[in-house]
Amino acid sequence: MKIGFVGLGLMGRPMALNLARAGHELHLWARRPASLEPFAEVHAHAHVSAAEVARHARIVFTMVADAPDVAQVALGEGGIAEGAGPGTVIVDMSTIAPAAARDIGVRLLAHGIDFLDAPVSGGEVGAINAALTIMVGGKASVFEEIRPLFEKLGKSATLIGDSGAGQVAKACNQILTGVGVAAVAEAFSFASKSGVDPAKVREALLGGFAYSKILENHGQRMLDRNFKPGFKSWMHQKDLRIVMEEAHGLGLMLPSAAATAQMLNAMVGSGLGEEDSIAMLKLLERMSGQE
Amino acid sequence: MRLGFIGLGAMGRPMALQLLRAGHQLELWARRPDSLRPLLEQGARACASPAELAGCAEVVFTMVTTSDDVAAIALGPDGLIQGAPAGSIHVDMSTISPQAARRIAGRLAEKDIAMLDAPVSGGVAAARAGTLAVMVGGEAGIFSRVRPLLETLGKTIVHVGGHGAGQVAKACNQMVMVASIEACAEALRLAAASGVDAGRVRSALLGGAAGSVVLEVFGGRMAARDFQAGVEARLHHKDFAILMHEASRLGCPLPVAGQVWQQINALMAHGWGGLDSVSLLKVLELAHA
Repeated sequence: MKIGFVGLGLMGRPMALNLARAGHELHLWARRPASLEPFAEVHAHAHVSAAEVARHARIVFTMVADAPDVAQVALGEGGIAEGAGPGTVIVDMSTIAPAAARDIGVRLLAHGIDFLDAPVSGGEVGAINAALTIMVGGKASVFEEIRPLFEKLGKSATLIGDSGAGQVAKACNQILTGVGVAAVAEAFSFASKSGVDPAKVREALLGGFAYSKILENHGQRMLDRNFKPGFKSWMHQKDLRIVMEEAHGLGLMLPSAAATAQMLNAMVGSGLGEEDSIAMLKLLERMSGQE
Repeated sequence: MRLGFIGLGAMGRPMALQLLRAGHQLELWARRPDSLRPLLEQGARACASPAELAGCAEVVFTMVTTSDDVAAIALGPDGLIQGAPAGSIHVDMSTISPQAARRIAGRLAEKDIAMLDAPVSGGVAAARAGTLAVMVGGEAGIFSRVRPLLETLGKTIVHVGGHGAGQVAKACNQMVMVASIEACAEALRLAAASGVDAGRVRSALLGGAAGSVVLEVFGGRMAARDFQAGVEARLHHKDFAILMHEASRLGCPLPVAGQVWQQINALMAHGWGGLDSVSLLKVLELAHA
């Protein structure tokens, strides 16, 4: 099948490669030509614009940074809508605000284009290993059409609900992972300052009700002092900004997420933005004089 | 002097009146022409659009709600930019984001129109009395020219810095003020939960190091259980979105403000946005049997 893909960054590149390896013909556009280099070995065509991609492929995936980027690629000058024929589907796998996703979906429908919001969880490793968790909002019939492609990208794809519902699920995911990382970092900081080995604490807790993948995986990386991303803190900061702005609009009280968002602000402001969000441990150590 | 004024709400109306009373010719425009009537009776003139208004005023004041409102009035199809002569001045006294203020100033500068961001603090009472605190961002030369007009409106007028600096100061003001209201609400809630009279706690505290204008004014309303606005909580809610967005953009942690924001979100959820921000006390009471 001919498939368009726009947004070949840390996540998008391995995802597009997985689609190519599954035997699909890729049609690509990238702002930076260097992003196209990894595709020299696979069946892929480069184009001069997203509109041109849409002229060659009825299904176009996007994986970019934020809502204005999605809107630009989909609806802007030289965007997908300009080149789209009948029955075009845009599958946006970026993490953006639910309200923005709904708005883009409505505007695309006016061009006769179907839109799925399909953000992912699982990070770069999940993207490389086709083991992502995909949360989808949009029409059920469109979801069913795209499902076989989702299966090449992830280990689960769930239709959560109407347009925007995928982004709501992703926002929930970011609350849980953000607050979860903060909780593990605080527990380790607490143990260390109390003169107790956090590795022993982790080992003991893994058997009980406090078990979580975050305690197991992120916790181990904290103990190894391995702060390489993974998932960069500036991106987690962006995602929690989306969560908090959505909460503002809904009149919703999210005190733990708010505290975590402020810690991510502090990380970005103090130069930890390019490190994994588990570097929250470093921030806590700095604030409590544990360095 | 020939002045323009747009935005005749609870704050704008008394401010426009102060300028009229000081002897200036006032040109007005409003989305709802009804809101002009009281001022027209005092000698102000109505214009058909912001563009037309800008054509007959040396300095135009705006006092509206959101960044989008200011952008539409200044830069829209019938906006100030379409009619303002080169060398005229736009003084925006609304509370909007510093980024939006800088962006609008930049666009106006292309047409040689100067802009000041000049948000105020003090509420309706200070607007009526002409005793607002005015915090100004923009060029010093422009500030000097407009200062006599601002002195008609306020008693503390500070040139804080370049474009957007007034809005930064206002964001700081809102953070300190609403966090203080929350602190008062929590203190008085603790007093009440302990079976101690909240009003007497307030009276005792006013004389000490915890004494503040917020404890006096807002604490007084809490003790009297007077939740009628003053300042509508929905406006503080709006301001928090601005300042928390700035904090995120700048990588600047504001842990207390982040929590206060959540309390105002809860306030909004209960439909109390039209009440005074002392309703933060009612939010705390939700968690009390």
